[in-house]
Amino acid sequence: MKKFSWTPYLLLLPSLLYLVIFFAYPMYESFRLAFQKDSAILSLRDEPDENAELGGQIKLQTIVTILDRLQLEETLPNGRTRPIFWFQVEGEDIDGNMVTGWVNQKSVFIENRRTSETARVVAGEPTKEWTTDFAERMFNDYRFKRALITTLILIVLILPLQFTLAIIMGLIIQSRIRGSNIFLYIYAIPLGISDLASGILWYSIFTQRGFLNSFLDTVGLIDKPYIFIQASNREWMIAAIVLAEVWRATSIVMVIVVSGLQAISRDYMEAGEVFGATLWQRIHYIILPLLKPSLQVALILRTILAFQVFAVVVAITGGDVLTVLANETYRWYDPARYNNANVAAVYALFIMVLSLGISLFYLRAVRSQEEASKSV
Amino acid sequence: MTTIETPINTTPSRPSMEATAVDRKRAKRRHSIRRGSIYILACIIALWILLPIWLIGTMAFSTPEDVRNYPKHFAPVPASTETMDFFLNTDGIQRAARNSIVVAIITLILSTLLAIPAGYAIARYLFPGRDAIRLGILSVRAFPIVVLAVPLAITFIKWDMYDKVYSLALMHTALTLPTTILVVASVFAGVPYELEEAARIFGCTPAKAFWKVVLPLATPGIAASAILTFVLSWNEVFAAILLTLTNRTLPAQILYTLDKSGDPFKFAGGFFMLIPSLIFIFFIRRYLFNMYGQLNK
Repeated sequence: MKKFSWTPYLLLLPSLLYLVIFFAYPMYESFRLAFQKDSAILSLRDEPDENAELGGQIKLQTIVTILDRLQLEETLPNGRTRPIFWFQVEGEDIDGNMVTGWVNQKSVFIENRRTSETARVVAGEPTKEWTTDFAERMFNDYRFKRALITTLILIVLILPLQFTLAIIMGLIIQSRIRGSNIFLYIYAIPLGISDLASGILWYSIFTQRGFLNSFLDTVGLIDKPYIFIQASNREWMIAAIVLAEVWRATSIVMVIVVSGLQAISRDYMEAGEVFGATLWQRIHYIILPLLKPSLQVALILRTILAFQVFAVVVAITGGDVLTVLANETYRWYDPARYNNANVAAVYALFIMVLSLGISLFYLRAVRSQEEASKSV
Repeated sequence: MTTIETPINTTPSRPSMEATAVDRKRAKRRHSIRRGSIYILACIIALWILLPIWLIGTMAFSTPEDVRNYPKHFAPVPASTETMDFFLNTDGIQRAARNSIVVAIITLILSTLLAIPAGYAIARYLFPGRDAIRLGILSVRAFPIVVLAVPLAITFIKWDMYDKVYSLALMHTALTLPTTILVVASVFAGVPYELEEAARIFGCTPAKAFWKVVLPLATPGIAASAILTFVLSWNEVFAAILLTLTNRTLPAQILYTLDKSGDPFKFAGGFFMLIPSLIFIFFIRRYLFNMYGQLNK
């Protein structure tokens, strides 16, 4: 027995720390954004200092009069300093009483920091109160249900097609025909292609003056271009997205399938052949059962990625008439549109809960199946 | 497209010929028909992969008039770089492309530097908690990006790191690190331990043995993983569009201006974004299974 060594832990430490900072912290922050009342109320300070005692509390969008102003220095977390204005303001508080206190420039909108007489309260501080307001806003948004349904429809259509195609590709590669290496590399090309590029590519095919219409026109099937992508043509838009996703993301499933196939002992396949099993029988009784662990991993991975489908949808449909969950997250976050990071955080958490839930469901389903087969 | 069907033998066989010969011939024919159909299927799928790339390439190298024309040509005749020029000289595109490259390079360096020690530890040491750490890293890989991007954007605003190229690179490093660690670990696992042992026996310290023996042998694999990291960062759009505003990366810039731009811009942009991925597959082809085969272990 080798003696205990700290070396591997030290080697792993930087990476693990990095991942904790960039995964654990945002997770916490995400929950806070989603379920904590944030900027509804601005707390005034007794002194021009963030840690000074609380004066009154003013609602957002209240117009306040400026009584005095000060230019101070603020130290940032990275150690640098920058100038920051503090204003002594007077305004109506949440109960309708006049209060005075200090706020800094981050919380108010002001035309001119040096001369303006009034300011508008535009941001607040966490009041540390828990709320389901943002979640309710998401669930009640008329786009939410549509986004959820479209995302689910896409998953239900894309995954089976993808896995069927990936298994066919894998079997072709494994059949060791001459040139199968070349086929492997061709099939692997989309591995490095982004969802946005793939979306644009398929947009060029399905758009009104696109390649599909050009082809149909050239062979004489239509006389004028058919508009595939329009609000009344949801089926065609979904078909275009499904094709783009199957085209782009089947490669990764294919690689996982091929490496799974390579692990299957040739003895099993030869046994199947010797006893006269047809190709279909071999797939059904030998290949698929042995491939199950690989397929399961690929399925979880693809499902999680499918819940985040975003750029393909925006590139093909514009993201307005047809929307998905990730697109809604962006819409709510986007400063140029809803500018509400809280609801965006709820969306993000919702996507995460869905993907984790489905992954657990897959794992459970597979395990219970195995248990059932063991007990027989 | 090639099919290898043997011509059917029409000469009548003599009745005295044994049935076995006929059988063998029939079996052989069935075999070549099957081969042929596998080939046909393989080529159809290859066409399905290649055709869209050909079409977008056609658009990128046609004149803007041809791009807008209907019906479209299926080959870039007459060929022209006008559309690509137009795209590359559109306001903000070169800057965005530069940002994309900077982000991808910072991501690649950070990610690889962090992953080399971690990957080595996973490949070479057996220690309590190794499987848990491996599994942890794998499960982080499966984490939705969407969940990270929104809170990180808010945090970066607070820390005055919003809309900076380097903060996007920090985020991309978090996204690529798990994959990079696992790929680098599999590269190190492929370097024979005996060589390292021999170096140690001849008096190298562990660090020197790693530096002089293991690392040079692992370099091609690590380079391939670095290329993968580059492409992952180059392609990433969701975090990029949330974390930047004026310092857009290329995909973020293209996505942001998508509804305001015409087809020549879109198609040239789509093709331009494809280029690294086409080069990428050429460089990593030997390491394909190192990279993605990892996933089911």
